[in-house]
Order: sequence, then C-alpha cells, then structure tokens
Amino acid sequence: MSPEYCLRSLLLIILATFSANASNWLYLAKLSSVGSISEEETCEKLKGLIQRQVQMCKRNLEVMDSVRRGAQLAIEECQYQFRNRRWNCSTLDTLPVFGKVVTQGTREAAFVYAISSAGVAFAVTRACSSGELDKCGCDRTVQGGSPQGFQWSGCSDNIAYGVAFSQSFVDVRERSKGASSNRALMNLHNNEAGRKAILNNMRVECKCHGVSGSCEFKTCWKAMPPFRKVGNVLKEKFDGATEVEQSEIGSTKVLVPKNSQFKPHTDEDLVYLDSSPDFCDHDLKNGVLGTSGRQCNKTSKAIDGCELMCCGRGFHTDEVEVVERCSCKFHWCCSVKCKPCHRVVEIHTCR
Amino acid sequence: MAGAIIENMSTKKLCIVGGILLVFQVIAFLVGGLIAPSPTTAVPYMSVKCIDVRKNHHKTKWLMPWGPNHCEKLKDFDEAVSKQIEANDIVFAVHIPLPSKEMSPWFQFMLFIMQLDIAFKMDNDLKENAEITLDVSLAYRDGVFDDWEEIAHAIEIRKLKCTFGSPKTLESEGRHYDCDFLPFMEIGSVAHKYYLINIRLPVNERKGINVGIGEIKDIRLVGIHQNGGFTKVWFAMKTFLTPSILIIMVWYWRRITLMTRAPVLLEKVIFALGISMTFINIPVEWFSIGFDWTWMLLFGDIRQGIFYAMLLSFWIIFCGEHMMDQNERNRLSGYWKQVGPIAVGSFCLFIFDMCERGVQLKNPFYSIWTTEVGTELAMAFIIVAGICLCLYFLFLCFMVFQVFRNISGKQSSLPAMSKARRLHYEGLIFRFKFLMLITLACAAMTVIFFIVSQVTEGHWKWGDITIQVNSAFFTGIYGMWNLYVFALMFLYAPSHKNYGEDQSNGDLGVNSGEELQLTTTITHVDGPTEVYKLARKEAQE
Repeated sequence: MSPEYCLRSLLLIILATFSANASNWLYLAKLSSVGSISEEETCEKLKGLIQRQVQMCKRNLEVMDSVRRGAQLAIEECQYQFRNRRWNCSTLDTLPVFGKVVTQGTREAAFVYAISSAGVAFAVTRACSSGELDKCGCDRTVQGGSPQGFQWSGCSDNIAYGVAFSQSFVDVRERSKGASSNRALMNLHNNEAGRKAILNNMRVECKCHGVSGSCEFKTCWKAMPPFRKVGNVLKEKFDGATEVEQSEIGSTKVLVPKNSQFKPHTDEDLVYLDSSPDFCDHDLKNGVLGTSGRQCNKTSKAIDGCELMCCGRGFHTDEVEVVERCSCKFHWCCSVKCKPCHRVVEIHTCR
Repeated sequence: MAGAIIENMSTKKLCIVGGILLVFQVIAFLVGGLIAPSPTTAVPYMSVKCIDVRKNHHKTKWLMPWGPNHCEKLKDFDEAVSKQIEANDIVFAVHIPLPSKEMSPWFQFMLFIMQLDIAFKMDNDLKENAEITLDVSLAYRDGVFDDWEEIAHAIEIRKLKCTFGSPKTLESEGRHYDCDFLPFMEIGSVAHKYYLINIRLPVNERKGINVGIGEIKDIRLVGIHQNGGFTKVWFAMKTFLTPSILIIMVWYWRRITLMTRAPVLLEKVIFALGISMTFINIPVEWFSIGFDWTWMLLFGDIRQGIFYAMLLSFWIIFCGEHMMDQNERNRLSGYWKQVGPIAVGSFCLFIFDMCERGVQLKNPFYSIWTTEVGTELAMAFIIVAGICLCLYFLFLCFMVFQVFRNISGKQSSLPAMSKARRLHYEGLIFRFKFLMLITLACAAMTVIFFIVSQVTEGHWKWGDITIQVNSAFFTGIYGMWNLYVFALMFLYAPSHKNYGEDQSNGDLGVNSGEELQLTTTITHVDGPTEVYKLARKEAQE
C-alpha cells in the first residue's frame, strides 16, 4: 500500500465521519449547471456523494440524471408543502443543503428523508417509462418465473426498479454504518416510509378488451400517483409523526414510541428522535433562517397567520401595487396572452 | 332421437368416460395455470416531448424519443416558455417497445389507451365538455437503422372527462385533474419489431381547436398486448383440440348416416355445434405469425359469436325435443320464437363489432365511443342484444320448467306403463337430466372462474409454484367447452347396440333389466316421428 493511498483513505474516513449527513446527495439538485451526467469522471466531481454513492454513480451513469431530477422534485415538493410554515424548507447553496436542521433527528429531517427517497423512486420509474433507461423491469423480477423474459411473459412493473434503485442509492449511507445507531435506524425507516407513500398509493386501472369490448379479457396495471399526491400523503404523516427512542429486542435494535401509550408506528409512518427548534430566530450556525421578513396572513389563526408565524414579534404592513395577469388566453402549453392588471394589495411581513 | 349411447352404457363405463374427461379438464386448467404466463401485459409509456424544429415539412419527419437519432427534448413546459416554443411545435413521441426490447408477432394484438395529466390553474381552467384534437401518426420499422414507414395517420377528437377532487382555489393549483383514460389505438396484428407514435396537439384559436383544455403536463400511454408465452400455449391447445373434435365429429356423423332413417333435428344441431366448435378450434392464428393480418381480431370475435349463438340454440332445441307432451316438432321453424332473439342479438353484436373493430382495420385510432352519435348507437346495439339475451333466458327457463313438470308427471305414471313405453320415457328423462346436470356444472364453472379471475389479482403463490389464475381460467374454460361438445357428440350419438340388436331381439323384456342398462326399446324402424306420435298419444291419455 502506497502512503498516498493510505492518506487518501484516511481522508475519506475523516470526511465520512464529519459530513455526517446522509441527505447530502440532495445537493445534486443544485447542480443544474453540470449538464447531463454522462461521464464517469463527473461522478467524482459531484459534491455531496459518499464514496459508495460515487461507485453507484459510475455503474449507473444513465440513472444519475433521474436521481438529480428526483432530488429537485423532492425539494420543490418540500417547499410547496411547507410554504406556510415557519420552517419553509428553504435550501442553502452550501452543504448541508437544508442547514443543520436536517442533520438532527427532527420531524423536519424525517420529512426530508422520506420525500427525497420517494423523489428518486418516482423519477427513476418515470424515466423507465419514457425509455431513458435500459435496465428497467425485465432484468430484475420477471413475473411468472419464466426465464424467457419480455416475449414470453412481459416485464414486471417499472416501479419495482425505481424503488429498488432508491433503496440502494439513498439507503447506502445508513447501510454502510451497519444500521446500528438510532439516527441510522430513523433515516432508514423514513426512507422506506417515503417509498411506501408511492407504493401504497398506486392506482390500479383496468381496461376490458374481450369480444366486442366485454370484460371477458381484462388487463389491469398500476399507475403511479402524481408527486403532489405523494407530498400530501407525507405531509399528513409529518403532522402525525411519532417520537421514538431506541430499544433492544433480543439482539436487534429497534425504534419504539417514546410514549408507550401511543400505538406503535407502522411502516408508512414517519418517526423522529429529537424535538424541533421553534425556527423563530435567525441562527445561521444551525442553518435556521428565522421568520423575519416572511410574509404572513393577517386573518389566519393557523401557523401561516401573523401571530404564530412572526413568533409574537409583530409585523408591518405595506401597500404594494402588483401587476397581475388577467383575462388571459391560454394554450395548453407555453403561450399565454394576458392583459396586465394593476391591483393594490396589503402585504404583511414579520419583523 | 332414439336410443343414444348414454342410455345404453353401463354406469361403470359412464364413470370411466367421465373420469377421463375430468382428467383432461384438470390438464387444461394446469396448462394455463402452470405453463402459461398471464394472458396479457400492460406496459406504461411516458411520452417524450420533442421540439419539431422542421415543422413545415413534418410529413417526412419522424421524431424519436430516444436512441441515436433522438429529437431535441423538453424536460417540462416551463423550459418551453423560456425558449419561446409554441404548442404547435411540440410533438409527443412514444417508441414501442422500450429500449433493448422487440415486439413480436406472438403478441397478436396491441391496444393503447391514453392518459392526460392536466394540471389545475386558476385562470386556465378546463372547459365544460372540453374536446381534445389529436393529430396522430403511427410508423413501423424492422431494423434499428431502417427508415420509418407510415402505417396510419389520423386527426382524432376525444372528449375529456375529468373531475377535480379538491376545491378550485389558489391553494390547489398544480394538482392534477382526475381524468378518465381515453381509447387511443388498436391494431390486430403485431407484425413489426418497432413502432413509433407521434402525437401533436395543434392549436387553432380561430376554429376553437384545442382551446380550453387546461394545462397539459404529460401524455401517458398504456400499451396492452397478449403475452407471447400465453399465445404459444393457446396455439398448442388449439392445435391439439382441433383433430380431437374433428375425429369425434366424423365418427358421430358416420353413425347417423349408418341408420336407415334421416337424421332428426337434435342430431343435426349437435353436429352444427361440433362444426362451430371446430371453427373456433382451427388454429388459423398460426398464419398471423407469418402474415400481417390485422383482421384476425375481428375474425376471432366472429368465430366466438357463432359458437355462442350455436350453443344457446342447442340448449333451446334440446329442451324442446325433450318436451314429452308436445306437438310434433323436429323442425327449426318450430323454434322461431326462441331462436329469433338469439339471431337478433348476435346480429346486433356483429354490427357493433364491425363498427368498432371493422373500422379499426382502416383507422387504428378510431373508436365508436368517442362521438356522441357513436356512443348512442353502440349503446343501442348492446342494449338490444342484452334484451334479446334476457328474452332468451326467460324462454329457456320456462322450457326447462315445463320439461321438469312433465318429467314429474310422467314419473308418477311410469309404473303403470307398459315396459316399452316406460323404458322409452326413462331414457328420455335420464338423457335430459344428464345434460341438464353437466350443462349447469359447466355454466357454473364458467361463472365462478370468471368471477374469481376478475376479483383476484392474477396469480396465486403457493410455495415456489405460481399459479396464473387468469390463464388457467382461459385454458380451463376453453378446454371445458371443448370437452362438453366432445362428450355431447359421443354420448348422444345413436347407439350402435340398439341399432344392431333390436331386430333380432323381439322380446323386449329379456335384454333389459338384468344387464343394469337403460335400454330404449322403442323400435325406430319407422323413424323418430313414430316416437313423437307415441309420445303425443301418451300425453293425450
């Protein structure tokens, strides 16, 4: 072993221990400037991947664009779902992408892990159906067990491939640690919950095509839900997430609800270990942007209302003239012809 | 029809025949359940949004979604807005099949349905009764480097039936409408390796084309085709069944012609049933592997229709001919009331099928359900056919009821009859009850398996063995009706024993009874009409 190699592996180990955030690969979403990931060398340059993810990247180059698309989808959806909350899923341009909030075992972290693993599964499955990937469906589990493949018995659903890829790419970090720490257990659980949010919401659709269109012949297939639906499901799970702690049953470590009166969580539920900060004040060290400067809703009593959003600091109101598009003529895509309309609106911003 | 084999057979022999048929039946189920894969596969395709850069001479230009010459792609339509691309420059391209796969003639047919992902926007809502106009074209090629050859090009209008689950507020912008899928395309043969679909959604504001259809995010297609493995198993089964039914048919007809009398109606009907079964069985589909015969799907429908019509007619005539106190029948015209609805119903379905699958031979994108008039017409045909079917079943039930009433009437007076008459009636009753029994069993099996295959999810796991329920249903039920027709022709053929021995055996009492055989001893030297005369006389008594 050359000294250079030793040094490099040592460096890697140090890096691996310090950047203890398994969601760093989400940084891919920020790399829109890289263009298409089509060479093995690009994998090395991608920030946020751990060594084993880089290896996976090299082996599955064609899938990496979908992984990036999945990361973007996840962040967009997260920001949509949390647009009215104090923590609005804002991303930083540095690592870690979401600041320190996600490095701790909070509810928010649970959601981010779930939505991102769902995002990858979703994007890879979609790419399969549009023909961007060669390896989908047939190579993995061919239903019926016959070896002849596509001609004999068709291929299995693309979602199986998408989920399997998400499992091996997103979970690799926790798996490499041996799945022993409670953080690893929590992340694995939430990753799986994210994928379950897709799998359990697949729509079964059927078409009859027998004699004269009768149901003598009927073919059914599973269609993926829109990603907005996945986001909604996970947001509900976020609202009802379970606080857990580690416990040992026999020799295996498992997560059990902290409050033993609660019923145990299922595979689909989100779990978290630490309670969240209040996200009120600007705290760059922990990656919390704070709510000052955020718009709020004066009439609402919920979390988007000024009372709660501004953490009692009060708000100021400005009258702003906005130019809106009105009496528009739309095409189904791309072209919009509108008249500009001027309107004066009150905007409330937190102090 | 006097003196069928079934009456002259000992119970033991009957059981053996039944056992053999049962073994074949089980084999038919197992072939489907264990060897064949599921009957069909659905492959989801996500269309790729291509930019048609040379739209002025797009006639020759085919846009490929992926591969070496793929088109310039758009990731989403936000990108199109920034690039100032218009709706008319966008082509949705789908390549069939997915990469590194090939289509094969074993797939028999392909049908496609279309799903639109339409996002809700406050100021770009979907119009009531919105219609979408598609400019679709289909091409094929057999080599990866060949040129695309056009198969069909059409401009189709489809109605959008969409609902929106959430309240239409600013909050729910970006959610998708819940749209019914649209019938897209159907072809009756898969003769080529690669297919390409290009879909355009041309916008013409002046003519109101494709206006008010919301914000389309994606077009998804689902392609359904028969599995190659299932086709092979199916063909093998047909190839095996054809000669078996053919042989029994020849044997049956030889037996009838050996008799001195002319064949009676019931015998002719059973023979006709055999012919229609053979017509279904003959594996002409083998030709579809070598030739591009798109009409095979329609032809298959017609063959099935003929068989069903024949089977229904047979039941009616069988009941009628066993109505023991009826006036002379033995003529098809005597059954016009019952056979009439079958003819009308089948004719309606035939017209409907011609309107749907017949037109699809010319234009694979056609569907009768897409237009208002077409839907009403189709519904009218189906409703008339349904009424005919109901009418038929009423007649049938009534007839079966009548026969049973007669039977119970006859049974009470049986001991008082002379031996010859008694045996004749016992034969009739046995023959009828036997057919009733197996027909009911077959019908019940069909219905039960149909329901099971509709309810369960296609395959059952049993340890390491996977049972394909749907395939088992198809092969099992197909085998069952073949065995039914086979058994019918075998058991209801005129008895040889009866035919040969009767004249020599003048004394009626000797040969029956002791042999534990049901022997009809009504002499048929005078032909069957004598039987009916006798029966009528009996009834008048």
